[in-house]
Amino acid sequence: MKWDEFFVTGEPMIYGAMVSIVVVSLAIVIGLTYFKKWGYLWREWLTTVDHKRIGIMYIISALLMLFRGGVDGLLMRSQLAIPENGLLDAQHYNEIFTTHGVVMILFMAMPFIIGLMNVVVPLQIGARDVAFPRLNAVSFWLFFAGAMLFNLSFVIGGSPDAGWTAYFPLASNEFSPTVGMNYYSIAIQIAGIGTLMTGVNFIATILKMRAPGMTLMKMPMFTWSILITSVIILFAFPVLTVALALMMFDRLFGSQFFTMANGGMDMLWANLFWVWGHPEVYIVILPAFGIFSEVISTFSRKNLYGYASMVGSMVVISLLSFVVWAHHFYTMGHGAMVNGVFSITTMLIAVPTGVKIFNWLLTLHKGRIEFTTPMLYSLAFIPIFTIGGVTGVMLAMASADYQYHNTMFLVAHFHYVLIPGTVFAVLAGFYYWFPKLFGFRLNERQGKLAFWLIAVSFNVTFMPLFFLGLKGMTRRMYTYSADTGFGPLNLIATIGAFGLALGFILLVYNIYWSFRYAPRETSGDPWNARTLEWSTHSPIPDYNFAIVPTVTGRDPFWEHKKGGHQLYKGKYEEIHMPSNSGQPIILAGIFFLFGFSMVFSWWVPAIIAGIGIIVMMAVRSFERDHGYHIPVREIEETEARLRGEQA
Amino acid sequence: MKLDNSLPLEYRSEENSNRIFGFWLFLGAEIVLFSTLFAVYFTLWNRTGNGPTGKELFEIGPVLIETFVLLTSSFTIGLMINSMRQGLQKAAMVFLFVTLVLGLIFLGVEIFEFVTYVNEGATISTSAFMSSLFVLLGTHGAHVTLGLLWGAGIMLQIKREGFTLDTANKSFIFSLYWHFLDVVWIFIFSFVYLKGMM
Amino acid sequence: MKKLFPVHHVMGYVFSLVLSVVALSVILWDMSLAVGMTILIICAAIQMGVQLFMFMHIGETGTKTSLYTNIAYALFVGLVTVFGTLFTMIWGYQ
Repeated sequence: MKWDEFFVTGEPMIYGAMVSIVVVSLAIVIGLTYFKKWGYLWREWLTTVDHKRIGIMYIISALLMLFRGGVDGLLMRSQLAIPENGLLDAQHYNEIFTTHGVVMILFMAMPFIIGLMNVVVPLQIGARDVAFPRLNAVSFWLFFAGAMLFNLSFVIGGSPDAGWTAYFPLASNEFSPTVGMNYYSIAIQIAGIGTLMTGVNFIATILKMRAPGMTLMKMPMFTWSILITSVIILFAFPVLTVALALMMFDRLFGSQFFTMANGGMDMLWANLFWVWGHPEVYIVILPAFGIFSEVISTFSRKNLYGYASMVGSMVVISLLSFVVWAHHFYTMGHGAMVNGVFSITTMLIAVPTGVKIFNWLLTLHKGRIEFTTPMLYSLAFIPIFTIGGVTGVMLAMASADYQYHNTMFLVAHFHYVLIPGTVFAVLAGFYYWFPKLFGFRLNERQGKLAFWLIAVSFNVTFMPLFFLGLKGMTRRMYTYSADTGFGPLNLIATIGAFGLALGFILLVYNIYWSFRYAPRETSGDPWNARTLEWSTHSPIPDYNFAIVPTVTGRDPFWEHKKGGHQLYKGKYEEIHMPSNSGQPIILAGIFFLFGFSMVFSWWVPAIIAGIGIIVMMAVRSFERDHGYHIPVREIEETEARLRGEQA
Repeated sequence: MKLDNSLPLEYRSEENSNRIFGFWLFLGAEIVLFSTLFAVYFTLWNRTGNGPTGKELFEIGPVLIETFVLLTSSFTIGLMINSMRQGLQKAAMVFLFVTLVLGLIFLGVEIFEFVTYVNEGATISTSAFMSSLFVLLGTHGAHVTLGLLWGAGIMLQIKREGFTLDTANKSFIFSLYWHFLDVVWIFIFSFVYLKGMM
Repeated sequence: MKKLFPVHHVMGYVFSLVLSVVALSVILWDMSLAVGMTILIICAAIQMGVQLFMFMHIGETGTKTSLYTNIAYALFVGLVTVFGTLFTMIWGYQ
């Protein structure tokens, strides 16, 4: 490879991005040095194994990636705003829709959800941390290394440009000759290993570390949704691992899996991708169901309607999610039998989902509803998601799908599912649990204003796409002529997109404003909520609970507040804590170097980094670190201080 | 630390039993990983292009050696855990050592087989069938290789510390891993080699 | 010797060797694909059981329900992947 091909050249926008990356990095380094915060950063954050801090780091990364993916989205919408627009050329447009998809699904939605589950799940089940705190840090740093590697592609070597689905033969060396698709296969692989480990970690945490008395059927609904999500992660991600590895072999080592000659089968990639890809949709949707269940129940002042059917429907969804994947490529060559079978399984999923919608509505029924920001997101979710779901059933009919396939109708459908389902959910969760983490609420007035901007603009952006799709506008086309008549609706959609951007800017301002001016909470329970996480102090002490709570019902803290049940019995005992470690971030750094060398086929550095990874695993194996104990006196002092602040 | 002395050493602390549980979950993921590789192999196995077919390529001799060696190593690692539970450190070490030697023999035969294929002109780029064969066998072989390094590391640790909560736990988890690799091999033996030679 | 080589381990080992030899019969004698595959599938399934129950002690802890569920779920997804892929890519492909 020549050095002038190493950096992406010739694009003014990318030069701008390079300059801003350098400026921001320099600003961070200078800032940290000037304020002497390196030590603090290393000791308190980069080496932490505390689930709360790891959760916060996940959420910050997700917000950064939301920015990146959002800018991609705005660029796409700007390009399509008017016919024959020259803002982006075809190649640049291809790169942008590819990275928009990958970044939003894998580096925004997933980490946001994993961040929330890190923060909340151990607290909800009355545990002091996850089952494997060190592994949790490894998961985070691998995700981070993968995300950074992927984002590096647009300044070094060139972005992937074959769509987030990366269909072959388009993604092969022949049709994607730059290293872009190498980045795709390797960066996602590294992040995926981290995600798989998160799945293992949270299943073990939820099944093995619950507070005494909390049986499975007494777990809060969010914890249930995370258990099911983790199960899907555990069994779906290996398929992605294999698919990406085969892609890498095809691109780097000349194997013949998805080629057009020597027996290769390009459709096999699409098949494997969606065997993982469809469960992935449920990985980002099910936690949303959990979040909405918590929020709706709290702000209706009622217990959740139909608890058992909620659990049952999630279990059914988790099984069905693995048997519907072929509906993503009805039009690509299989016979009526295959399409028929997958049509039926796909439509079946609407049944358990419908059960959940009715349960939420019945929870609201006769409740004393409070319209807080998280509640607004939850309420808006129900009708908008239903539109997404119903259009999904339309797409599920194989014969009709020949009309919709690869049109803007599909684009509108999955945004109608993923934005209310995932984005609204993580925002609701963010507003809801924020005071638990930081000890103050985000300003409600600004929050509600941002909500209305986001909710309305969302519909303005994506509703026109349904009609554009039905009129025949295909997805992923970088421009269109005025004769098509697509112009006006596209312009409306673009205006909506900028409204969405404004909404998110307001949301960020809301966070900033609240950090400076919001009144500090004193109770630890700002929403008058029901589950265990609200029963400890805010901000939360390192050990979460001074005494492990005892649980008898589904809403233990609510029962405690109503005087029926004593949560904390017994006296303080020494608490065992895991110690911090720099190994996870070092390991992820080596993975990053390994991935980067592989992308450019630099074998020697790749082998050295590969050996480095094995050495790091050996270091961990030979290490004997049994954590440390917090003595009773220190617990007493911490508790008194936290209570004192609250008095 | 709370210890339940009624349990074997490897389960005794809460962390230990969590680790064993977590590793079982990981093996669940491994089952899906290998299933996917099998799915790819079964889809591509008769798409041989200009390359050889399985029938032309496979030879039963080395495969039988590999199968026998790996089955025996699975037996010996089981015996190692059995000895460990009775506190027989020396016997356990011998069984672990035998397991690793058998693993090494397996790996040697597999590499020999790969070299033979390549010498016959059947490389990873020859055909979709060869690609899927190499990657399926190679993934299993890579697992065995990693297992050898891991097992050797555990042996050093037992030598240094004897059987403690840590080393007993690691040994037990390693034994799960090794048995699992044996299961995968059985499927490769049956559905790649035997079916291919039928 | 009994201490070092407990009966059920030895039995498991002998069992697995016998099963491998039985599986080997599919290439020693001429038989139809259906018969051969049946033999292979049955032998492999039993072998897996031998390893899981006799060597890996899957049923010995308090979490055995979770472990069985885990393995069952993994097998479900694994089989769906294998047969679903064959169904969409080969058997049902036009």
